[in-house]
Amino acid sequence: MGEKEYYNIKLTVNGKVVTGSVRAEISLLDFLRDNNYIEVKKGCDKGDCGACTVLIDGKATVSCLTSALQAQGKNIYTLKSLGSWDKLHPLQKAFVKYEALQCGFCTPGMLMTAKALLDTNPHPARESIKEAISGNLCRCTGYRKIVDAIEAVGRGEL
Amino acid sequence: MDNFKYFKPQNFKELLNVKYDLSSAGFPLAGGSNLLIYIKEKSIRSGTLIDITSLKELRGIKKTGDTIEIGAAETISGILESKVLENELPFFSVSMRDFANPLIRNKATIGGNMADASPVADTAPPLLVLDAKVVAASKSGIREIPANEFFSGPGKNNLSKDEIIQKINIPVPERGSGIFLKLGQRKGTSISVTSVAVWIVNDSNKITGIRISLGGVAPVPIRAVNAEKAFSGKIIDENNITALAETLKEDIKPISDLRGSAEYRTAVSINLLKRAILTCLKTEE
Repeated sequence: MGEKEYYNIKLTVNGKVVTGSVRAEISLLDFLRDNNYIEVKKGCDKGDCGACTVLIDGKATVSCLTSALQAQGKNIYTLKSLGSWDKLHPLQKAFVKYEALQCGFCTPGMLMTAKALLDTNPHPARESIKEAISGNLCRCTGYRKIVDAIEAVGRGEL
Repeated sequence: MDNFKYFKPQNFKELLNVKYDLSSAGFPLAGGSNLLIYIKEKSIRSGTLIDITSLKELRGIKKTGDTIEIGAAETISGILESKVLENELPFFSVSMRDFANPLIRNKATIGGNMADASPVADTAPPLLVLDAKVVAASKSGIREIPANEFFSGPGKNNLSKDEIIQKINIPVPERGSGIFLKLGQRKGTSISVTSVAVWIVNDSNKITGIRISLGGVAPVPIRAVNAEKAFSGKIIDENNITALAETLKEDIKPISDLRGSAEYRTAVSINLLKRAILTCLKTEE
């Protein structure tokens, strides 16, 4: 059995260039978490739950089914690109105000999906919001408060 | 110990050469939404991941003559956003609206969904009723495989070991209308229990031409030739549609699995077919 091969990788995460050396089959999710982007959550690790959602060149997708090497040269945005403790993003403020989370595990992915939606559709209808987050599972809230929060940002409330 | 390599061909010729050299140990990697799962589940333990996403020969959605060509590496989102499809063949883009969920649609590709050859592949029934062709490319040339003859079993297709899917060619029908209905266990991210696509050419309630395809009721997505014969030329009303739709039983061989029993799938197929046909007949061209 031969030695495992490693490949150089260079991509941009939240505006910062990140380099590394990865195996062929490593997922973007594992690469990000290994590089301390632990705000990207590992839920099912097979594309069913959406907890690992990031933006790749502006599109929301699951990082667990994205080959890290295919993210070569791309712009990746994680939850930490949204806001900070002292300067929350309107979506983050809305999630607090509308109590759109309980355990919080789905929230990093949910917020990135919501961000991608609002970037292309700034004032989404409830049905569009439900459709957009249909790949992000939440087992606590029943979704209603999440939809309320995203809708509130869409109408400029926060 | 798992052992994978990664290779990104710089051009189409290099892709065909490397696929020839690696044969079945070369796995085309586009969206990765199937391949990465197979690697994680260890149903694939070694091989070379051939990154095909940026090759222009596998991209683009365009109309050439009476044919719409969709590059194999086009994502389902790309199909939904395509103006060409929206204008020329809205049936196909509308059919893709229930494909998985937006996160997966942003990565899953039409070529990958076909190559994966799931009995419930959501691109298959619409492509089968459109008489689409899978364009397979290898070092020795290209050939067109009718979508209906592309699958050979669950997870198996008729590509040779040195072939890749380059594009899907869809002849734009001169007349008619189509619909794709799928029944899943829930709305979002649902794997189909059963799905039905129909393309109908009709004169009021008289069916002058019909193609029917189903997913999830046989080892591969199928054309329901017996049901097609039964409906062809008939004037459809509430009284005869059930008996006609029940001819589907001669076309399908459903199994029982965790998503539904064979009896349930049979009942659902018949109901979906009736609903699909009635909806098409109500849609005036």
